[in-house]
Amino acid sequence: MTEQLPAWSEPFADPKRALRRTLRLRGLTREWAWGGATGKGVRVGIIDSGLENAHPALRGRVVRNVTVDISGDEPEVVDDGAEDMFGHGTACGGIIVGLAPDVELVSIRVLGADLRGKGAAFAAGLEWAIEEGLEVCNLSLSSKSESLYPIFHDLADRAYFRNTALVSAANNVPAPSYPSLFSSVFSVAAHAEPDPQRLYYNPQPPVEFGAWGVDVPIAWKDGGSTVATGNSFAAPHVAGIVALILSKHPGLSPFEVKAILASVADNPGRRASRRHRGRS
Amino acid sequence: MDKETEAALAALVAAARRSGVGRRLQGDIETRLLQSIVDATVRLFDAEAASIALFEQDPDRLEFRVAAGEQGAGAIGLTVPPTQGIVGFVYSTGQALSLSDVANDPRFNRGAAEQTGYVPRSIAAAPLLSEEGTEGVLQVLDKRGSPTFSLQDMELLGVFAGQATVAIAAARVQRGTERLLRTALTQIGPDLADDDVERIVATATADLDVDDEAPFWRLVDQVARLRALSDREIALVTDVLDVVAQHASRARRSRPGR
Repeated sequence: MTEQLPAWSEPFADPKRALRRTLRLRGLTREWAWGGATGKGVRVGIIDSGLENAHPALRGRVVRNVTVDISGDEPEVVDDGAEDMFGHGTACGGIIVGLAPDVELVSIRVLGADLRGKGAAFAAGLEWAIEEGLEVCNLSLSSKSESLYPIFHDLADRAYFRNTALVSAANNVPAPSYPSLFSSVFSVAAHAEPDPQRLYYNPQPPVEFGAWGVDVPIAWKDGGSTVATGNSFAAPHVAGIVALILSKHPGLSPFEVKAILASVADNPGRRASRRHRGRS
Repeated sequence: MDKETEAALAALVAAARRSGVGRRLQGDIETRLLQSIVDATVRLFDAEAASIALFEQDPDRLEFRVAAGEQGAGAIGLTVPPTQGIVGFVYSTGQALSLSDVANDPRFNRGAAEQTGYVPRSIAAAPLLSEEGTEGVLQVLDKRGSPTFSLQDMELLGVFAGQATVAIAAARVQRGTERLLRTALTQIGPDLADDDVERIVATATADLDVDDEAPFWRLVDQVARLRALSDREIALVTDVLDVVAQHASRARRSRPGR
């Protein structure tokens, strides 16, 4: 099974060749899906390195900061400072607010302190987000740990049944990683076209969506900014668009949102493919 | 101890000894493999530097083991906490990423970079992901032909990181006989309690490395040195040994009373 998994962002490197679709859902438009939407009323959890609330890119949209304390017997979710250990969480939050300026961001910091129990902290943070009923969660990390497989599987199912959309950066290497490769999760890799709303649907999962993730201008630590490349900068673009859709159409289930994204994706269609063949 | 346990333990002791011998004979094959990977990386990317940091415990740290490129040398031996910086983030999340324009931003955390004597403009880093988790990070600094790293660059970096992971797994014997036995035992007997695994490993490796000067290990070390010699040098050593052997047998024959 392992060798069938796609490498990094391969399908999105040449969409004309790899992502041509002759059949797709019809009748849905971007205008219907998120035209005029601002993300208002949607809470997006950032499971990452924390959020620097005062960073200008976050435009004051952070409503809560929590972290997972793993010093005791059981991981415990506690209040956290308004800081980011690496800058990465703030980068993701900035991308989401850039697309959906009225979302409410919730920082769930699972990185930065003790590495032991990292997987358990990640799972506890994700569980908290689902129990809180957050509409969208952006995940930049995944676990390869076999022992955590059933826990993440259960959490992915719970999120799905509670209408929490889990948007996860696909891992770089063609190997199993959880929860990014579970079918109910929005698994995202990077494409190189500099447009925050340019989306591709990959009909050959496990990586289902491609979004901008190359040379993306991002917010970084201590009020800074930089330019970055990685799947973990593609995922928040999808999270932001999902937040827009859910603010305009509250209560849609993850599978409905996925269907909308696939339907309005920028994959070349039948006509484009004909033109393409005509030229060659 | 019953017969079966005794036989199993004897087998483990033999395995531990073989692995110890293998380690001595191979030299530091892990470092050599990793070095060849960063050498290839720096050339293919035409970059200022490429390096590999491996995770070490007590205290938790990422230690730069090998480096290549004009600006790479300063990194070797440097350690960074896995909770800080790009390398720490990539290690913690298992996510590859690259950043550009880092030197232009005065707020960028440059502590570790400055320790190496070289502050890069761009960094790409990929995790070394093995079956057991993340082993470390491969990083490339400043591609000469371009201010940023492309999607293809990141793919390529992932391929090199995969090679490094394979090299580490192949040379695992290098990372300690005890770890090797522990892994094998946990795989063979998943129900074994941690305490039992530790006890068995301790018993099997008790005789290893207790005395580096023991004749057995001296012999192994001599063989290891011989393996590094050229054909001419081996021929020379063989000739010398022949002379010594002839001399010894003559001396024995001429010894009075024999």
